[in-house]
Amino acid sequence: MSESHDKLLQQYHSERKAAKDTAGLEALRVKYLGKKGEVTELLKGLGKLAPEERKSVGAAINELKNAIQSSIEESMREMALKEQNEKLNAERPDYSLPGLYHSSGSLHPVVQVAREVADIFLSMGFFMAEGPEIEEEYYNFEALNVPSHHPARDMQDTFYIESGQVLRTQTSPVQIRTMEALKPPLKMIGLGKVFRKDSDITHSPMFNQMEGLVVGENISMADLKGTLVMFVENMFGKRPHRFRPSYFPFTEPSAEMDIQCIFCEGKGCKVCKNTGWMEVLGCGMVNPKVFDAVKYDTEKYTGFAFGMGIDRIAMLRYGINDIRLLFSSDVRFLRQF
Amino acid sequence: MKILLSWLKDYIDIQETPEKIAEALNMAGLEVEEVIQPGKNLDQIVVGKILSRDPHPDADKLSLCSVDVNRGQPLQIVCGASNMKAGDKVPVAMIGAKLPGGFEISRAKIRGVESFGMMCSKKELGLSEDHGGLYILDDKASIGENIVKALDLDDVVFDISITPNRGDALSHLGIARELSAIFNLPLHRNPLGDEEGDDNVDNHISVEIEDTDHCPRYGARVVHGIKVGPSPDWLKDRLEKIGLRSINNVVDITNYIMLDIGHPMHAFDLNKIEGNSIIVRNARKDEKIMTLDNVEHPLDSTMLVIADAKKPVALAGVMGGLHSSVTEQTTSVMLEAAFFNPTTVRKTAKRLGMMSDSSYRFERGTNIDNVPIALNEAARLLRQIAGGRPVKGIVDCYPKPEILRQIRVRTKRANRVIGINLTPAQIETFLLRLKLDTRRDGEDLIVSVPPYRHDLELEADIIEEIARMYGYNNIPETLPAITSVLQLPTPLQKICTRLRDHMVSCGFNEIMTYSFIPANINESFREKKPLMLQNPLSEELSAMRTSLKWGMYDALRRNILNDEFNLRLFEIGRVFHPAAGGLSEEYTRLSLGFSGSVNSRDWRRNGENFDLYVVKGIVENIAKLLGLKIKFAPGSYSLFHPTMQMELSAGKNHIGEFGQLHPEFIDNKKMPKCIYIVEIDLGKAAKAAEGCQRMQPIPDLPAIRRDLALLAPESVGNRDISKILTAEGKALLEDCYLFDVYQGKGIEPGFRSLAYSLTFRDLRKTLTDEEIQPLIDKMIGRLDRELSVKLR
Repeated sequence: MSESHDKLLQQYHSERKAAKDTAGLEALRVKYLGKKGEVTELLKGLGKLAPEERKSVGAAINELKNAIQSSIEESMREMALKEQNEKLNAERPDYSLPGLYHSSGSLHPVVQVAREVADIFLSMGFFMAEGPEIEEEYYNFEALNVPSHHPARDMQDTFYIESGQVLRTQTSPVQIRTMEALKPPLKMIGLGKVFRKDSDITHSPMFNQMEGLVVGENISMADLKGTLVMFVENMFGKRPHRFRPSYFPFTEPSAEMDIQCIFCEGKGCKVCKNTGWMEVLGCGMVNPKVFDAVKYDTEKYTGFAFGMGIDRIAMLRYGINDIRLLFSSDVRFLRQF
Repeated sequence: MKILLSWLKDYIDIQETPEKIAEALNMAGLEVEEVIQPGKNLDQIVVGKILSRDPHPDADKLSLCSVDVNRGQPLQIVCGASNMKAGDKVPVAMIGAKLPGGFEISRAKIRGVESFGMMCSKKELGLSEDHGGLYILDDKASIGENIVKALDLDDVVFDISITPNRGDALSHLGIARELSAIFNLPLHRNPLGDEEGDDNVDNHISVEIEDTDHCPRYGARVVHGIKVGPSPDWLKDRLEKIGLRSINNVVDITNYIMLDIGHPMHAFDLNKIEGNSIIVRNARKDEKIMTLDNVEHPLDSTMLVIADAKKPVALAGVMGGLHSSVTEQTTSVMLEAAFFNPTTVRKTAKRLGMMSDSSYRFERGTNIDNVPIALNEAARLLRQIAGGRPVKGIVDCYPKPEILRQIRVRTKRANRVIGINLTPAQIETFLLRLKLDTRRDGEDLIVSVPPYRHDLELEADIIEEIARMYGYNNIPETLPAITSVLQLPTPLQKICTRLRDHMVSCGFNEIMTYSFIPANINESFREKKPLMLQNPLSEELSAMRTSLKWGMYDALRRNILNDEFNLRLFEIGRVFHPAAGGLSEEYTRLSLGFSGSVNSRDWRRNGENFDLYVVKGIVENIAKLLGLKIKFAPGSYSLFHPTMQMELSAGKNHIGEFGQLHPEFIDNKKMPKCIYIVEIDLGKAAKAAEGCQRMQPIPDLPAIRRDLALLAPESVGNRDISKILTAEGKALLEDCYLFDVYQGKGIEPGFRSLAYSLTFRDLRKTLTDEEIQPLIDKMIGRLDRELSVKLR
């Protein structure tokens, strides 16, 4: 490269450094490499040289041209990036403006809890069954070993339809319908609305129950305990539990399951009435009379059943103090879930 | 039921703490709801006598008292109450005492004067809510005595909830029997009352039972020389402690025996029993009885009564008659103890809407063997405390003595059901502790069921007793070793799950409304004549809903009245239609409710109100989600605005409708005009839903797009135009999309502008404009000829 080339290159570099923006760089490119640019002019001048000089001078000019070209491309890239960044940084949002509202929906709290409960049992191999809400008295009572004029009917104050049918007082008739339709072994849960003639802050004339039934050969009370403990631990976390004898006409032996109060951890509080325990479900071994009603072989099969109030669990979980809120349709309540 | 600890000790020497007893009963299935211990935490509180009361030197409202607590020097106590005077006896909390509220008494200086204790109110002692000043004690209280002793607060009351199967536990004896089994303690019974006396009962009364199914046993005993009067203190005390009012010695004795051994009794004034005869029979038509509670009841032949020679004198097992009841003038009584059929008593009580302590026990089954025991015990007590002279013997009408039920229990079966491994000998021990007579038969056990255990009928019932004694919490925890038959969710169940999630993502709040609604709602909310409840809770909840629209309307309305105007609600639930034969059919429905704006107004956007098209779009979206091809047609529901409504069908079936609420139902100023309600039958939707679609290939050749702006008379609908566009576009028209509808400035009145974007594509070759133009020309030609629609 000749001295004059060197000079040109230095001149270029000093001008490049002085360029303020991509437009300046472009002007530089035209100045040196454009059709009438200084380097282009040098190349055009080659023809005037002697052929023996042409080769070496040509190579030198090309070297100069390449140097300028790659330098200008690189500068362009850098400059474009810089300019873009400046432009982006000039965009200044007001971070304190609220987001544009998109109305957010909500699942009913009872449905959320029912799904949680159901998911645990479905994972354990249970299936979900359904039954009618207006039931035959037979399915709601007789088949479940609650004959008419039995004091056990006092446990559930029943609504009657004019036809003589009842609004089911429990989801247990789903057990009967399932057993009539299927042969063991079976593990089912049933979910649905039930109705009892009762209304105050802890009782609603309509509420939701989850029912479960397991029938097979050699199903024992130990299986009942193991299954329900697994449920309770997944639902409420690992905590002390106990089974107390109780009475349901359709199970024998019958039990109620308590867990350590989730509010006071057993120390005693208002919710658990200072007992440290909270009742979560009723359960028991299926009464052979129930198997007789569905024509299952009572010698071959044994089974257990359980039931729980979903509304009550939802109330405990979310700290809802009045069951009637669940059926109030009040969006100020529903939007919280 | 309230049970007194000191009373239990008549039967069992139990030394456990009240807490331990309550825990044991709970774990045996007798749920203790409350343990009432008034004397708990009242250790250092004693009877004090106020010797003097002077004003506090430095405070108007305080007094300075000198109180003798029989511990040397009288105590100086500063007190804020004002209802006491010198000479009164009051409870004094000594220094170091801890009151039930948790407050600890310490030496204190109150306004410069030292105070060495505190005089207490009833509330401060936790005895009542009464905070009206100090508790002024009876003058008989001895100074310095512990308040628990002075007020006899030492006893413990258990409030126990007994399940309907355990009628045998509805007494002190019954609970003692359970405790004896749990703690393995001996149970001692009172010596039986005597049957001695003068004369012979047969000279005074005869008993006849018409139907022994209703009344298997009826016993009567006569006592003369009665002086009706107040009961002695011990009897009053026991009754009052468990919340029963003392009436007079005769009535108290019958109540006492019921609470003691669980057998309801009745005492008649013998002189009011005509013909000296008792007949247990069904009531006759047109008979009436005035019962003890002063209510006259018309009777019918399903009811069992106790009658004398002429008329009913008591409702068997439910309540006595007023006429023959014991009064202050009574001198001779006939005591009744009987066993009535539980169902008979229940039917009578239910029919008359009466429930008594007596009917409650008879319904749950009493001990038939207690008939003579109760009578003799009552006679003994009448002699002891009412001056009675019992007549010798009892009339015991018991034609068919009961044979004890025998139940065979197989050891293997018991172990299999419970999931444990007991030997026959272990099982036998448990059963004997429960006073169940048991004998071994090889590996089996034969149990004789005592007459009071009506709950023990089957082997399973005995297995429960074994499990109870073994302890539920000692049973291991295992998992069932079975695999259930497979039952997949039904299409309807799946749809419900998907829809719930979809609606929530679309910003809807899920509601759950009652399945019963008011009977008198406007007809427009109904689809059918509703099924009515025989016994509704109220008129508001008396008819089964035939559609979800009322619940949705009510929910929208109530929220709006709470100033919540922007609403998107949904409900999935069942509706009930009457069906043939008086039966019912249930349908699962989805309802949607809209009010206010689609997007609420914010700092950038103005809220756009819900209208027919927004709602239609949401319905179309749902249809797409469910794989439904829905057809829309104008509807004709009176609930909706006459034109702003549509009916939905899939295939040939009507599956739902939606519309703007008719102004008739906008009955409050707060309610916006545009409220929309949608209802879709999900069962029908599930049936009409199409299965999974085949994939369509993704085109790799370019499309040609053309926009057409058309001017159409108002009467021409999108459907008319689309039809022609689609028909003339033939196979090459891939998509025809309406992107603008305009009416107003620049458009002649009576017309509107509709702009369509047409996409043409040939899947086999690249299309050219020349191929498209003739199609478009034909479209424009036909639109003009058939619909007078012109290119703008």
